[in-house]
Amino acid sequence: MDRQRRAGLLFVLPAVVYFGGVFLVPLVESVIGSFYRTVPGGLSQFVGTRLYVKVLTDPTFWQAVGNTLSLLVMSVPVTVVVALAVALGLHRLRSLEARSAWAAMYFLPFSVSLVAAALVWQWIYDPVYGVLNHALAGLGVPPLKWLQSLDLVRPSLAAVNVWARLGFDTMIFLAALQAIPAEYYEAAAIDGASAWQALRRITLPLLNPQIVMVAILELIFNFKIFDTVYATTQGGPAGASQTVIMLLYDTAFKYFRLGDASVMAVFVFVSLLLVTLLQWRLFRRQVEY
Amino acid sequence: MKTARFGWLTAALVAAGALCVVFPLFWMAVTSLKTVPEIQRLPLQVFPDRWSNLDNYREVFQRQPFGRFLLNSALVASVAALSSAVVSSLAGYGFAKFRFPGHAVFFFGIVGILMVPFQSVVVPLYLWINRLGLLDTYPGILAPDLVSVFGVFLMRQAIEVVPSDYVDAARIDGASEFGIFWRVILPAVKPAIATLVIVKFMWTWNELFWPLVVVNSPTMKVVTLGLVSFTNMYFIEYNLVTAAAVVSVLPILAVFLACQKWIVRGVVMSGLKG
Repeated sequence: MDRQRRAGLLFVLPAVVYFGGVFLVPLVESVIGSFYRTVPGGLSQFVGTRLYVKVLTDPTFWQAVGNTLSLLVMSVPVTVVVALAVALGLHRLRSLEARSAWAAMYFLPFSVSLVAAALVWQWIYDPVYGVLNHALAGLGVPPLKWLQSLDLVRPSLAAVNVWARLGFDTMIFLAALQAIPAEYYEAAAIDGASAWQALRRITLPLLNPQIVMVAILELIFNFKIFDTVYATTQGGPAGASQTVIMLLYDTAFKYFRLGDASVMAVFVFVSLLLVTLLQWRLFRRQVEY
Repeated sequence: MKTARFGWLTAALVAAGALCVVFPLFWMAVTSLKTVPEIQRLPLQVFPDRWSNLDNYREVFQRQPFGRFLLNSALVASVAALSSAVVSSLAGYGFAKFRFPGHAVFFFGIVGILMVPFQSVVVPLYLWINRLGLLDTYPGILAPDLVSVFGVFLMRQAIEVVPSDYVDAARIDGASEFGIFWRVILPAVKPAIATLVIVKFMWTWNELFWPLVVVNSPTMKVVTLGLVSFTNMYFIEYNLVTAAAVVSVLPILAVFLACQKWIVRGVVMSGLKG
């Protein structure tokens, strides 16, 4: 028995040590670092909550938070709803070969790096030679500056996020749909339920855990958005697409204000912690069904 | 039945949506085969004049050591995939089949790390890597990618369903604990390991944030960094950018198409990692 306890501990030890060293220790250091200011010469000076006051009263920071939230609001609901619609459509295809072939096409962007995705979309969005403006010209729409105008830059970037994430979410929904026993629908059909009623009363309630999970995952993903912005607009024009993580990156690695960056790191951590707690609540309510 | 009546409509919508999703990739591929006058021609031209025009690809490899970038990415992603397979299956076995002091604390501690966004630990991690003199080295690039929580979770789930009777029988036969892991557990969870290796390889290959932080010299760049460096100019040559993008995406796309079944499994088994 003792041998087994020791063996079990030894098996998990590498992972425990690794995660402790690479995540836990730096997380604690981030929190500590947010109370220190690095002075020229590389020394650190304890400044209490002064950096928090500085960052949290900085309009640039709140603009970045606002931009991030606005990107999030534009892309999360669209991604979830479209993925759900696509999964329902795929699920209704009778032929399994057709279903998996079309599903593979939706899933394709999942394998493409966000950097490559962003660059290709930047080319599609190009104001002069981009295919999107060409296509819209056919409908009589004047050329638009998708990534260069203050109003359009966030919806345009949100669309890239939706494109990149759609396949992932669709796969989760499709797997969940395939796990619903066919008898439920047969019973509903015998009772004279319409397809719409079956969707509302059977499919959506049974899919609720996946819908909540995907929504939370998208929330987290979009809150941390960096790659697509960095590869295209770098936060521009005039800070209109500056996100929290972009600002954190610039603060830490462009201006080397590590204390300020640590405050933002703590902010991101706490925000996502709150989202996760919210997730637990939502899940718990689901169990009562 | 209603389902039958609208079957064709569903199929048409699904197909139209799929074509929209694939279009950017198609557009990337055709653009990479065009010359500059071709991509600027009016009216818009869909297909390249010459399908065998590989000048853009040649140019990409001439301007930047793109071959080296590919090699760097392949090396980093392979090591990350293998080390995470090893450490995750060991830990997965420990968590699934053993009870020991600290079991719950360690497991929930590790799963709790899912809540810690990487960006929240990046500054101290960077300082550590700097202190250890690992900036601009492979170990430095690899440091945060060696194991992922997703892997530990996936392997625990997979090993949990291996019947404990097998483990007990081997133990009665006098097998060592590691021998049981090697000869009984690992063969039983090969599919999960395959899933983990493929998914982890893909994630590491596509990563941008951390390499951006630790890599300075051109020879240590990974492909995502190489791609970005094509845009740090006033005028973006999209024929080159798309060619570089194709080069960066192609290896992963090949892996993806060959192993799609495993990847879908991984995604479905735990929609972890945002």
